[in-house]
Amino acid sequence: MNDFQFTRILVYLPDLLRGVGVTFQIGLVSASIGLVLGLVLALMKFSRHPLAYWPAYVYVEFFRTTPPLIQIVWLYYGLPLITGQDLGAFGAAAVALGLNVSAFYSEIYRAGLVGVHRTQWQASRVLGLSLSDTLRFVIVPQAVRNVLPPMGTTTIYLIKDTALASAIGTPELLRIGQLISVETFRPVETLTMVAILYFAVTYPVALFVDWLERRFKIART
Amino acid sequence: MSGSLIVVERLVKRYGDHTILDDVNLDVKAGQVLVVIGPSGSGKSTLLRCLAALEPMQHGSIRIDGKLAAKGKEEADGEPDAASLRDLRQRIGMVFQQFNLFPHLTVLENITLAPRRVRGMTQAGADRLGIELLRKVGLEDKRDVYPERLSGGQQQRAAIARALAMQPKVMLFDEVTSALDPELVGEVLRTMRQLAEQGMTMLVVTHEMGFARDVADDVIFMDKGKIVERAAPEVIFEHPKEARTRAFLERLLDREGRRQ
Repeated sequence: MNDFQFTRILVYLPDLLRGVGVTFQIGLVSASIGLVLGLVLALMKFSRHPLAYWPAYVYVEFFRTTPPLIQIVWLYYGLPLITGQDLGAFGAAAVALGLNVSAFYSEIYRAGLVGVHRTQWQASRVLGLSLSDTLRFVIVPQAVRNVLPPMGTTTIYLIKDTALASAIGTPELLRIGQLISVETFRPVETLTMVAILYFAVTYPVALFVDWLERRFKIART
Repeated sequence: MSGSLIVVERLVKRYGDHTILDDVNLDVKAGQVLVVIGPSGSGKSTLLRCLAALEPMQHGSIRIDGKLAAKGKEEADGEPDAASLRDLRQRIGMVFQQFNLFPHLTVLENITLAPRRVRGMTQAGADRLGIELLRKVGLEDKRDVYPERLSGGQQQRAAIARALAMQPKVMLFDEVTSALDPELVGEVLRTMRQLAEQGMTMLVVTHEMGFARDVADDVIFMDKGKIVERAAPEVIFEHPKEARTRAFLERLLDREGRRQ
């Protein structure tokens, strides 16, 4: 069985690269949603006010305990039925994954903030720093270092999860691969190619996070 | 006699059912150095933390310069407004047992952050102030070093400089030498002595009896959340009125004697 035929797949490379572009865009949009919404959720969960705490708690538990595939399907098929609002395949996938990953990011933010010692808050308070200055100049710069490694891992998971968008026909990398497989009857070669292209997107993200980590470490010693 | 800088009246502080401070009254005049001693769990540190507004209290009031700075949650009348509260808090500086420097900032940045952000000083002005304070505590050559590169004694002196940068009227010292190696205690105490000589009003919780004897105007003995006795150091150490004070000092001196 040594008749792998990668050359037959290579003609489809332009299609696959278009898929990479869509995958990258879904990743970018959902990560952006997640990074902002996740921070809001994390801060809400720090609040003692029940109207801030409980919605954030329910949100996080809901989104991290149900499958992202079903969340995508709900948004794509369910939302138009309820609101008449159709996000389209790209929109539904990007928003659903963004909502999903914000739950995970928020827990990472939270762990990062909790990881900064309590006494740093007290020292800031005694100096008269306002809450926002304390966060901006004292807590967040220290939390960033705690947060980067798990943030990187979660973001790589997120990029791979964009493959779930294939289920609603978004023309991202896996979906294109599926179509090529059917056309060529060469699923192994096609999916291997697809995997290599996923690597080509995720590995730079991993390198970027490593670089950030180094940068924030050098800044303190 | 100058007026009172801090007046604490009937301060009660509880954690759940546990009473930490039980009806504490305290009067600190400008320029006074008070040393607070007592067994662990007597409420010394909590008293300082209430003064620094790090802990809410159940009853009583704290006045600084005659203005209400804090009051018990269960107290009915009068709420200090937020603006004057911030203003009042800036008159109190605090130094902690564990230094609590900001590890991601250099020594100089540690000192200049609050003057810039809270007092609205320019970077250049804050830097000048910071360098002057570092000279005062003998750390001028460490301005661009991160705290983890400093010894404990150096970190604590940097923390003192950081607190002084806000130009407080009162400095609170919460067991600032307890976490230090014995050979580093002296340099921090020297800095505190200097500060006392320059007329800073100070409240010092410590186990350093030599410092209490030499520097304090009054020594306060606390036990079980109450101020048991307050008197000049020679009175407290030679002829304490209260049996509890005597017992505490005997235990302490006995232990120190055995160590030598």
